[in-house]
Amino acid sequence: MASRTLRTAAVIVAAAALVASAAGVEAARERAYPPAEAVDDALYLTSGAALRRLTVAMNPLAADLYWIRAVQYYGGARRRLSGDPAAVQPPLPPAAIADTTAYDQLYPLLDVTTTLDPRFDIAYRFGAIFLAESYPSGPGRPDLAIRLLEKGFRAQPDKWEYMQEIGFVYYWYAHDYQQAAGWFNRAAAVPGAPNWLKPLAATTLAAGGDRASARLMWQAILQTADVDWLRAQAERRLLQLRALDDIDALQKLADRYTAEHGGEHPHDWSTVVRAGLLPRIPGDPSGTAYVLDDNGHVTLSDASPLSPLPEAALGRSAEQR
Amino acid sequence: MSWALTTDQLTKDYRVGFWRPRPYRALDSLTLQVGAGEVFGFLGPNGAGKTTTLKLLMQLVFPTSGRAEILGRPVGDLTVKRRLGYLPENPYFYDYLTAEELLSYFAALLGYPPDERKKRAARLLDEVGIAGERRLPLRRFSKGMLQRVGIAQALLNEPEIVVFDEPMSGLDPLGRRDVRALILRLRDRGCTVLFSSHVLSDAEALCSRVAILAGGRLIASGDLTEMLAFRARGYELVVAGVDEAVIARAAPDARCVRIGPSRYTLELPLDPPPDRLLGALTAAGGHIVSLNPVRGTLEDFFVERVRSAGVGEGRASVWEAQR
Amino acid sequence: MKATAAIAVNVFRESVRDKVLYNLVLFAILLIGASYLIGQLTAGQDVKIIKDLGLTATRVFGLFIAVFIGIGLVSKEVERRSVYSLLAKPIHRYHVVLGKFAGLALTLLVNVAVMGVALYAVLAYMGWNVDADVQRAWGAPALDPAIGKAVALIFVELLLTTAIALFFSTFSTPILSAAFTFGLFIVGHFSADLRNFDQVLDSPGAVFLARGLYWVLPNLAQFDVTEQVVHGQPVPAGYVAIAVAYAALYIAMLLVIATAVFSRRDFK
Repeated sequence: MASRTLRTAAVIVAAAALVASAAGVEAARERAYPPAEAVDDALYLTSGAALRRLTVAMNPLAADLYWIRAVQYYGGARRRLSGDPAAVQPPLPPAAIADTTAYDQLYPLLDVTTTLDPRFDIAYRFGAIFLAESYPSGPGRPDLAIRLLEKGFRAQPDKWEYMQEIGFVYYWYAHDYQQAAGWFNRAAAVPGAPNWLKPLAATTLAAGGDRASARLMWQAILQTADVDWLRAQAERRLLQLRALDDIDALQKLADRYTAEHGGEHPHDWSTVVRAGLLPRIPGDPSGTAYVLDDNGHVTLSDASPLSPLPEAALGRSAEQR
Repeated sequence: MSWALTTDQLTKDYRVGFWRPRPYRALDSLTLQVGAGEVFGFLGPNGAGKTTTLKLLMQLVFPTSGRAEILGRPVGDLTVKRRLGYLPENPYFYDYLTAEELLSYFAALLGYPPDERKKRAARLLDEVGIAGERRLPLRRFSKGMLQRVGIAQALLNEPEIVVFDEPMSGLDPLGRRDVRALILRLRDRGCTVLFSSHVLSDAEALCSRVAILAGGRLIASGDLTEMLAFRARGYELVVAGVDEAVIARAAPDARCVRIGPSRYTLELPLDPPPDRLLGALTAAGGHIVSLNPVRGTLEDFFVERVRSAGVGEGRASVWEAQR
Repeated sequence: MKATAAIAVNVFRESVRDKVLYNLVLFAILLIGASYLIGQLTAGQDVKIIKDLGLTATRVFGLFIAVFIGIGLVSKEVERRSVYSLLAKPIHRYHVVLGKFAGLALTLLVNVAVMGVALYAVLAYMGWNVDADVQRAWGAPALDPAIGKAVALIFVELLLTTAIALFFSTFSTPILSAAFTFGLFIVGHFSADLRNFDQVLDSPGAVFLARGLYWVLPNLAQFDVTEQVVHGQPVPAGYVAIAVAYAALYIAMLLVIATAVFSRRDFK
């Protein structure tokens, strides 16, 4: 009957109007009395053991919830600090950032997660990366990352991946090549481990910090990473290493030019090209041209997406050591 | 005669089943009228649609199509409800209230002021015969007592029309007799009584008009005596003080059964009228104990009509199963 | 509205006779026992803990009453068939819905009021018993009028929860109603997380959905001012007024829908 449909419509309209005005009132309240920012992601219970007992019969689910919290916490903090949604890009200069406690809860959250579910693989591996990332992309705590990974492989001693990750953290974040090599060796000793771990250990020990071992390291990561972000990192690092090699070679050419022209430095690439030393203007793996400054130094262009290049320690090729 | 209650093509479909609901027609185009001051019986087997009809009249369910009016106004009208009383089937009230509290509560809903409520409650509980138990919580009431409470709450407002759904249900013979007497009292007061029952003897005793439902359809309605008259079969005569020979001579075609020393029952046809036979037997020294017309009972009528309407136990049990 | 009042009084009577109000005894035991224990165990923190405990217990006990009675308000009548004789009386169906709500509200009012008074009594005792020096270190005085505001807001939150339970009761079975009501209660307290989803989610669709849910689902966290009250932070009258207005509007919406659903039901 028409009147029945009309009555139904009237009820729906009334209900919608009431909900809308309730939402409006709430918006007014939030304007007048702004709620405290939900930044105090306080963990009331930091003891994983206590939580394990509390959430008995639901431990893995609780672990999942804490993992989600950890990810949200990390992401939120990182976004806030970098101010840029595409967080793989270079961060803001550290001086601009005042909040040094942004990542305080990260390790406790990851610790609780892995206590509730000791086999929570991604919590260990991603968690370690989150922890090791230098400020402001992370708290810059490779020690905590290693502690987390050690916990992981105590729970599952046959996971060579954890040992490899520890080695990686020592190598890349803590620059402790002795330790890194040691862990790569231990990883290699686990039955079922891939056979490039031993050579990686050897190279690290012999020439850790130089480009060859770094390259090996990143290639290993590229092969084993099951995460896009990490693979992208590895690719980028490998390109950067190539850029470093390029710069060395180009610097040699520039020096040759100087030597051949009585100490006069070349001012730009076209000069070098005209001298027949180069076929054309050289570009880095991303296609951006290298910079040749007035003193004849070759560097990566600041506008290049590969900038800035990894630290000075890696800028030395094997010959320069 | 003004109509107290009318229905016009009243129909109710239910949708049965969750995944693919099929329509189930509980009531099909019911059209009937109940006159003011009548006692109207609403009869039929289980699942016939009697309770559905009464609920439609009380607006507990809404019709799929058709209309109904009570006291000249459409059903659900509040002024009409104030002049109406309803007893549901197998009534249940609130466990935690006493009988008196329940009636006071309903009196409040009927709009009576506080001082009036308790008086009415007491009076009605007295009228249905449970004045002694009025302070007892309803959870301690037997089924028969609850039925009486139900009747009491239906009469709180001295209604002009009462609708009873199975008023005799759960009552012992004494109780049934009391309710019958009550219904007759109501009729004498000018109240219109509509009640449903599947016990035909009650209808026979009380109703002036009846409607018979089966399978959701009205299969007969009208004056009770007219319905039964067509089935009058003959007479039953009980006579004493004569012997078989005398009877055989006076009524050779009659079937005769001996029920005691010199005491016989005769089954006589309608035609010829038995007056002459009575005279002959008395003249032979016998005396007439009783002479009763043998009519088809309402039951015979009922069964025959229901069967011919093609409705049997099968349909009824489908409905019961879905409740 | 006499019909509504009569129905409300009946609901209240049922709650009382169902011995619901005995929960107050449990509450009193809890408070008194805790205050004694804590007095033995802590130094100077006592009042805060008693306030926390008292307010939380008021909310939790009230929640259970609101849900367990609320889910049966309508469904029990229908299931036991007492609704037939009720609706045969000259009342509208909306009287039943409103009356049931008012009745449970009355029960909760009594419950919460008694708990508030009991809490004040215990706090008064502590204030009287404890040294003035220790009291100076407390964040807020023992007999803080702001606690009254906190209790009032708890009552309002319980009314909203009741409306939710009653809403489900008009069309759902008791078990489902309980599950949904408890679920909405929990979600209502975490609505702030919904709001902050945009900080951690990438997909604009998901953010839109989360935001939409935030505005539509009841926000119950605003009624919890325990933290502020316990630490002596002000609870402005304006805040209370706005929270009450929000609750009133949301309750109205729930009752409108509940009434509409109840008015159309066939009671087979």
